[in-house]
Amino acid sequence: MKYSYIKPRNKSAITPEIKLMLTFFSITLFMLFSTYAFLLYKDYSFTNELVHITNKKNRLETNIADMKVQILFIKKENVLAQKIQTKNAVLKDSITNLFDLVPERITLSEAKLDEKSLLLKGITPNKDVYNFMLQAPLRSIFHRTYSSFYPAGNGWLSFVSTNYTDDEKTVSQKEIEVEN
Amino acid sequence: MKINLSRQYIYLISFSAFLLIFVLLFAFLVLIPEGKEYRKSRVDAKTQIKELHKYQYFNDETEATLKELQKKHRHIIVAFDAIFNPNKFQKQHKNYFSSLEISKLERKTNEKEFAVYEVSAVSKISSPKGFYDFLDAINKSDWIIGIDFPIDFVRDSELIKSTFTMNVYCNAKDENSTKKVEK
Repeated sequence: MKYSYIKPRNKSAITPEIKLMLTFFSITLFMLFSTYAFLLYKDYSFTNELVHITNKKNRLETNIADMKVQILFIKKENVLAQKIQTKNAVLKDSITNLFDLVPERITLSEAKLDEKSLLLKGITPNKDVYNFMLQAPLRSIFHRTYSSFYPAGNGWLSFVSTNYTDDEKTVSQKEIEVEN
Repeated sequence: MKINLSRQYIYLISFSAFLLIFVLLFAFLVLIPEGKEYRKSRVDAKTQIKELHKYQYFNDETEATLKELQKKHRHIIVAFDAIFNPNKFQKQHKNYFSSLEISKLERKTNEKEFAVYEVSAVSKISSPKGFYDFLDAINKSDWIIGIDFPIDFVRDSELIKSTFTMNVYCNAKDENSTKKVEK
Protein backbone atom coordinates (compact mmCIF):
# COMPACT_ATOMS: atom_id res chain seq x y z
CA MET A 1 0.00 0.00 0.00
CA LYS A 2 1.29 3.33 -1.02
CA TYR A 3 1.18 6.34 1.26
CA SER A 4 2.63 8.84 -1.19
CA TYR A 5 2.33 9.59 -4.83
CA ILE A 6 5.97 10.55 -5.23
CA LYS A 7 8.92 8.27 -5.25
CA PRO A 8 10.92 8.42 -2.06
CA ARG A 9 14.22 10.30 -2.36
CA ASN A 10 17.45 8.59 -1.40
CA LYS A 11 18.47 10.07 1.88
CA SER A 12 22.23 10.69 2.22
CA ALA A 13 24.21 11.37 5.35
CA ILE A 14 26.12 14.09 3.49
CA THR A 15 23.66 16.89 3.22
CA PRO A 16 24.54 20.04 1.25
CA GLU A 17 25.27 21.82 4.57
CA ILE A 18 27.75 19.11 5.56
CA LYS A 19 29.28 19.26 2.10
CA LEU A 20 29.71 23.00 2.42
CA MET A 21 31.21 22.70 5.86
CA LEU A 22 33.52 19.88 4.83
CA THR A 23 34.68 21.81 1.77
CA PHE A 24 35.37 24.90 3.84
CA PHE A 25 37.28 23.04 6.54
CA SER A 26 39.16 20.86 4.08
CA ILE A 27 40.42 23.91 2.27
CA THR A 28 41.28 25.63 5.55
CA LEU A 29 43.04 22.58 6.97
CA PHE A 30 44.88 21.98 3.71
CA MET A 31 46.13 25.56 3.73
CA LEU A 32 47.12 25.34 7.37
CA PHE A 33 49.01 22.07 6.98
CA SER A 34 50.68 23.08 3.74
CA THR A 35 51.83 26.35 5.33
CA TYR A 36 53.13 24.41 8.31
CA ALA A 37 54.88 21.92 6.03
CA PHE A 38 56.42 24.81 4.07
CA LEU A 39 57.66 26.42 7.29
CA LEU A 40 59.08 23.12 8.54
CA TYR A 41 60.83 22.52 5.23
CA LYS A 42 62.23 26.05 5.18
CA ASP A 43 63.41 25.74 8.75
CA TYR A 44 65.19 22.51 7.87
CA SER A 45 66.71 24.04 4.77
CA PHE A 46 67.91 27.12 6.72
CA THR A 47 69.48 24.89 9.34
CA ASN A 48 71.27 22.93 6.62
CA GLU A 49 72.32 26.13 4.91
CA LEU A 50 73.65 27.57 8.15
CA VAL A 51 75.73 24.44 8.76
CA HIS A 52 77.03 24.63 5.18
CA ILE A 53 77.83 28.35 5.52
CA THR A 54 79.58 27.82 8.86
CA ASN A 55 81.71 25.03 7.39
CA LYS A 56 82.57 27.12 4.36
CA LYS A 57 83.41 30.10 6.57
CA ASN A 58 85.71 27.96 8.67
CA ARG A 59 87.41 26.64 5.54
CA LEU A 60 87.85 30.16 4.18
CA GLU A 61 89.15 31.38 7.51
CA THR A 62 91.78 28.61 7.60
CA ASN A 63 92.65 29.28 3.98
CA ILE A 64 93.04 33.01 4.61
CA ALA A 65 95.23 32.35 7.67
CA ASP A 66 97.43 29.97 5.63
CA MET A 67 97.76 32.46 2.80
CA LYS A 68 98.63 35.25 5.24
CA VAL A 69 101.41 33.08 6.67
CA GLN A 70 102.67 32.42 3.13
CA ILE A 71 102.53 36.13 2.25
CA LEU A 72 104.46 37.00 5.40
CA PHE A 73 107.03 34.33 4.65
CA ILE A 74 107.51 35.50 1.05
CA LYS A 75 107.97 39.05 2.33
CA LYS A 76 110.56 37.82 4.83
CA GLU A 77 112.33 35.86 2.08
CA ASN A 78 112.33 38.94 -0.12
CA VAL A 79 113.71 41.18 2.63
CA LEU A 80 116.46 38.66 3.41
CA ALA A 81 117.30 38.18 -0.28
CA GLN A 82 117.46 41.95 -0.81
CA LYS A 83 119.70 42.30 2.24
CA ILE A 84 122.07 39.60 0.97
CA GLN A 85 122.13 41.03 -2.55
CA THR A 86 122.85 44.52 -1.20
CA LYS A 87 125.62 43.09 0.99
CA ASN A 88 127.14 41.36 -2.06
CA ALA A 89 126.94 44.58 -4.08
CA VAL A 90 128.53 46.59 -1.26
CA LEU A 91 131.25 43.95 -0.97
CA LYS A 92 131.94 44.21 -4.67
CA ASP A 93 132.21 48.00 -4.40
CA SER A 94 134.54 47.66 -1.41
CA ILE A 95 136.86 45.29 -3.26
CA THR A 96 136.78 47.47 -6.38
CA ASN A 97 137.63 50.53 -4.28
CA LEU A 98 140.42 48.66 -2.53
CA PHE A 99 142.12 47.59 -5.73
CA ASP A 100 141.60 51.05 -7.24
CA LEU A 101 143.24 52.53 -4.18
CA VAL A 102 146.52 50.71 -4.71
CA PRO A 103 148.84 52.78 -6.92
CA GLU A 104 150.66 51.17 -9.81
CA ARG A 105 154.07 51.64 -8.15
CA ILE A 106 153.06 49.44 -5.23
CA THR A 107 152.60 45.72 -5.76
CA LEU A 108 150.33 43.79 -3.45
CA SER A 109 151.13 40.21 -2.50
CA GLU A 110 148.20 39.69 -0.15
CA ALA A 111 144.99 41.45 0.78
CA LYS A 112 142.79 40.14 3.55
CA LEU A 113 139.43 41.81 4.01
CA ASP A 114 137.49 41.34 7.19
CA GLU A 115 134.36 43.01 8.38
CA LYS A 116 136.20 45.71 10.31
CA SER A 117 139.80 45.27 9.27
CA LEU A 118 142.04 45.12 6.25
CA LEU A 119 145.45 43.53 5.99
CA LEU A 120 147.66 44.44 3.07
CA LYS A 121 151.02 42.94 2.26
CA GLY A 122 153.18 43.98 -0.63
CA ILE A 123 156.26 45.73 -1.83
CA THR A 124 156.93 49.42 -2.33
CA PRO A 125 159.93 51.17 -3.89
CA ASN A 126 160.29 53.34 -0.76
CA LYS A 127 158.47 54.52 2.31
CA ASP A 128 157.46 57.85 0.80
CA VAL A 129 155.58 56.26 -2.06
CA TYR A 130 153.76 54.06 0.42
CA ASN A 131 153.04 56.88 2.89
CA PHE A 132 151.72 59.33 0.32
CA MET A 133 150.03 57.05 -2.15
CA LEU A 134 148.60 54.28 -0.01
CA GLN A 135 148.70 55.09 3.66
CA ALA A 136 147.11 58.53 3.28
CA PRO A 137 143.94 57.24 1.60
CA LEU A 138 143.84 54.27 4.00
CA ARG A 139 143.95 56.64 6.97
CA SER A 140 140.98 58.53 5.62
CA ILE A 141 138.97 55.30 5.48
CA PHE A 142 140.07 53.46 8.63
CA HIS A 143 140.20 54.68 12.21
CA ARG A 144 143.50 52.98 13.02
CA THR A 145 146.31 52.19 10.59
CA TYR A 146 149.54 50.42 11.45
CA SER A 147 152.40 49.79 9.04
CA SER A 148 155.66 47.93 9.28
CA PHE A 149 158.48 47.63 6.75
CA TYR A 150 161.32 45.27 6.13
CA PRO A 151 163.78 45.04 3.26
CA ALA A 152 162.61 43.01 0.31
CA GLY A 153 166.04 42.21 -1.05
CA ASN A 154 165.99 44.00 -4.38
CA GLY A 155 166.22 47.45 -2.80
CA TRP A 156 162.48 47.66 -2.37
CA LEU A 157 160.64 47.45 0.90
CA SER A 158 158.13 44.87 1.94
CA PHE A 159 155.30 46.28 3.99
CA VAL A 160 152.53 44.97 6.15
CA SER A 161 149.63 47.32 6.66
CA THR A 162 146.90 46.55 9.17
CA ASN A 163 143.89 48.80 9.26
CA TYR A 164 140.94 48.79 11.63
CA THR A 165 137.57 50.44 11.74
CA ASP A 166 136.24 50.97 15.25
CA ASP A 167 132.64 50.72 16.26
CA GLU A 168 130.84 54.05 16.23
CA LYS A 169 130.37 53.72 20.00
CA THR A 170 134.10 53.31 20.58
CA VAL A 171 134.85 56.28 18.32
CA SER A 172 132.40 58.55 20.10
CA GLN A 173 133.74 57.44 23.50
CA LYS A 174 137.28 58.25 22.38
CA GLU A 175 136.13 61.65 21.13
CA ILE A 176 134.54 62.38 24.52
CA GLU A 177 137.73 61.30 26.31
CA VAL A 178 139.83 63.63 24.08
CA GLU A 179 137.44 66.54 24.69
CA ASN A 180 137.65 66.00 28.45
CA MET B 1 10.15 31.14 20.92
CA LYS B 2 11.32 27.66 20.66
CA ILE B 3 14.13 26.71 18.34
CA ASN B 4 13.71 23.34 17.06
CA LEU B 5 17.02 21.93 15.89
CA SER B 6 17.32 18.55 14.41
CA ARG B 7 19.91 16.18 15.76
CA GLN B 8 21.78 16.40 12.48
CA TYR B 9 22.19 20.16 12.81
CA ILE B 10 23.43 19.78 16.35
CA TYR B 11 26.08 17.34 15.12
CA LEU B 12 26.97 19.66 12.31
CA ILE B 13 27.31 22.69 14.57
CA SER B 14 29.33 20.71 17.12
CA PHE B 15 31.67 19.36 14.47
CA SER B 16 32.09 22.83 12.93
CA ALA B 17 32.81 24.31 16.35
CA PHE B 18 35.38 21.58 17.03
CA LEU B 19 37.11 22.16 13.69
CA LEU B 20 37.07 25.91 14.22
CA ILE B 21 38.67 25.55 17.63
CA PHE B 22 41.24 23.15 16.17
CA VAL B 23 42.04 25.61 13.36
CA LEU B 24 42.42 28.49 15.79
CA LEU B 25 44.52 26.53 18.23
CA PHE B 26 46.71 25.16 15.46
CA ALA B 27 47.17 28.62 13.99
CA PHE B 28 48.03 30.36 17.25
CA LEU B 29 49.95 27.65 19.00
CA VAL B 30 51.83 26.06 16.13
CA LEU B 31 51.75 28.07 12.96
CA ILE B 32 52.45 31.56 14.29
CA PRO B 33 55.44 30.52 16.50
CA GLU B 34 56.80 28.48 13.60
CA GLY B 35 56.35 31.51 11.32
CA LYS B 36 58.26 33.69 13.77
CA GLU B 37 61.01 31.09 13.91
CA TYR B 38 61.10 31.02 10.12
CA ARG B 39 61.47 34.80 9.89
CA LYS B 40 64.28 34.73 12.45
CA SER B 41 66.05 31.93 10.59
CA ARG B 42 65.67 33.81 7.31
CA VAL B 43 67.26 36.94 8.80
CA ASP B 44 70.05 34.82 10.32
CA ALA B 45 70.66 33.07 7.01
CA LYS B 46 70.83 36.40 5.18
CA THR B 47 73.32 37.76 7.72
CA GLN B 48 75.43 34.62 7.46
CA ILE B 49 75.36 34.75 3.64
CA LYS B 50 76.49 38.38 3.75
CA GLU B 51 79.30 37.47 6.11
CA LEU B 52 80.25 34.54 3.89
CA HIS B 53 80.43 36.88 0.89
CA LYS B 54 82.76 39.13 2.89
CA TYR B 55 84.95 36.15 3.74
CA GLN B 56 84.91 35.03 0.12
CA TYR B 57 85.89 38.52 -1.04
CA PHE B 58 88.70 38.71 1.52
CA ASN B 59 89.84 35.23 0.53
CA ASP B 60 89.92 36.19 -3.16
CA GLU B 61 91.76 39.40 -2.35
CA THR B 62 94.36 37.57 -0.22
CA GLU B 63 94.77 34.90 -2.89
CA ALA B 64 95.33 37.57 -5.54
CA THR B 65 97.96 39.25 -3.33
CA LEU B 66 99.67 35.91 -2.72
CA LYS B 67 99.71 35.02 -6.41
CA GLU B 68 101.05 38.45 -7.31
CA LEU B 69 103.82 38.11 -4.72
CA GLN B 70 104.62 34.58 -5.91
CA LYS B 71 104.81 35.82 -9.48
CA LYS B 72 106.88 38.89 -8.59
CA HIS B 73 109.38 37.05 -6.35
CA ARG B 74 109.39 33.75 -8.18
CA HIS B 75 113.17 33.68 -8.48
CA ILE B 76 113.69 34.32 -4.76
CA ILE B 77 111.09 31.72 -3.71
CA VAL B 78 112.57 29.07 -5.99
CA ALA B 79 116.08 29.98 -4.86
CA PHE B 80 115.18 29.59 -1.18
CA ASP B 81 113.56 26.22 -1.89
CA ALA B 82 116.44 24.99 -4.03
CA ILE B 83 118.85 22.39 -2.73
CA PHE B 84 122.43 23.57 -3.01
CA ASN B 85 124.37 21.52 -5.49
CA PRO B 86 128.14 22.22 -5.38
CA ASN B 87 128.75 20.57 -8.78
CA LYS B 88 126.07 22.66 -10.46
CA PHE B 89 127.40 25.77 -8.73
CA GLN B 90 130.91 25.05 -9.95
CA LYS B 91 129.66 24.44 -13.47
CA GLN B 92 127.70 27.69 -13.50
CA HIS B 93 130.46 29.87 -12.10
CA LYS B 94 133.70 28.29 -13.29
CA ASN B 95 133.92 30.79 -16.17
CA TYR B 96 134.78 33.56 -13.74
CA PHE B 97 137.76 31.68 -12.29
CA SER B 98 140.78 29.81 -13.50
CA SER B 99 139.94 27.21 -10.88
CA LEU B 100 137.23 26.87 -8.24
CA GLU B 101 137.04 24.46 -5.34
CA ILE B 102 134.06 24.21 -3.06
CA SER B 103 134.14 22.60 0.38
CA LYS B 104 131.41 20.47 1.97
CA LEU B 105 128.26 22.21 3.09
CA GLU B 106 128.04 22.79 6.82
CA ARG B 107 125.11 24.05 8.78
CA LYS B 108 125.99 27.35 10.36
CA THR B 109 122.89 28.50 12.21
CA ASN B 110 119.72 26.82 13.23
CA GLU B 111 117.21 29.59 12.91
CA LYS B 112 113.49 29.14 13.02
CA GLU B 113 112.65 29.97 9.42
CA PHE B 114 115.87 30.00 7.45
CA ALA B 115 118.78 27.64 7.56
CA VAL B 116 122.24 28.97 6.75
CA TYR B 117 124.90 26.66 5.39
CA GLU B 118 128.52 27.61 5.11
CA VAL B 119 130.68 26.74 2.14
CA SER B 120 134.33 27.62 1.82
CA ALA B 121 135.62 28.36 -1.64
CA VAL B 122 139.16 28.53 -2.95
CA SER B 123 139.57 29.99 -6.39
CA LYS B 124 142.17 31.35 -8.70
CA ILE B 125 141.58 34.40 -10.82
CA SER B 126 143.72 36.11 -13.41
CA SER B 127 142.40 39.58 -12.53
CA PRO B 128 140.05 41.07 -9.94
CA LYS B 129 137.48 41.61 -12.72
CA GLY B 130 136.65 37.90 -12.63
CA PHE B 131 135.78 38.24 -8.98
CA TYR B 132 133.63 41.32 -9.63
CA ASP B 133 131.72 39.47 -12.33
CA PHE B 134 131.32 36.53 -9.97
CA LEU B 135 129.81 38.83 -7.32
CA ASP B 136 127.40 40.18 -9.91
CA ALA B 137 126.45 36.69 -11.05
CA ILE B 138 125.96 35.33 -7.53
CA ASN B 139 122.92 37.59 -7.07
CA LYS B 140 121.30 35.96 -10.09
CA SER B 141 122.23 32.39 -9.25
CA ASP B 142 119.86 29.52 -8.46
CA TRP B 143 120.46 29.87 -4.72
CA ILE B 144 120.47 32.68 -2.23
CA ILE B 145 124.15 33.11 -1.50
CA GLY B 146 125.90 35.78 0.48
CA ILE B 147 129.66 36.18 0.34
CA ASP B 148 131.01 36.52 3.81
CA PHE B 149 134.20 37.82 5.36
CA PRO B 150 137.06 37.13 5.60
CA ILE B 151 138.10 37.31 1.97
CA ASP B 152 141.71 36.62 1.33
CA PHE B 153 143.54 37.45 -1.90
CA VAL B 154 147.06 36.06 -2.17
CA ARG B 155 149.35 36.43 -5.14
CA ASP B 156 150.19 33.06 -6.64
CA SER B 157 152.70 33.68 -9.48
CA GLU B 158 150.59 35.13 -12.32
CA LEU B 159 147.26 34.40 -10.66
CA ILE B 160 145.42 35.60 -7.58
CA LYS B 161 144.35 32.92 -5.15
CA SER B 162 141.19 33.97 -3.38
CA THR B 163 139.73 32.27 -0.34
CA PHE B 164 136.29 33.23 0.84
CA THR B 165 133.23 31.91 2.61
CA MET B 166 129.78 31.68 1.13
CA ASN B 167 126.61 31.51 3.16
CA VAL B 168 123.86 29.57 1.43
CA TYR B 169 120.39 30.47 2.73
CA CYS B 170 117.42 28.16 2.37
CA ASN B 171 114.11 27.44 4.02
CA ALA B 172 114.52 25.77 7.38
CA LYS B 173 111.63 23.39 6.68
CA ASP B 174 113.70 21.83 3.91
CA GLU B 175 115.60 19.63 6.35
CA ASN B 176 116.46 16.93 3.84
CA SER B 177 118.29 19.29 1.53
CA THR B 178 121.61 19.11 3.38
CA LYS B 179 121.45 15.39 3.76
CA LYS B 180 121.01 15.11 0.04
CA VAL B 181 123.88 17.48 -0.63
CA GLU B 182 126.23 15.95 1.91
CA LYS B 183 125.80 12.53 0.37
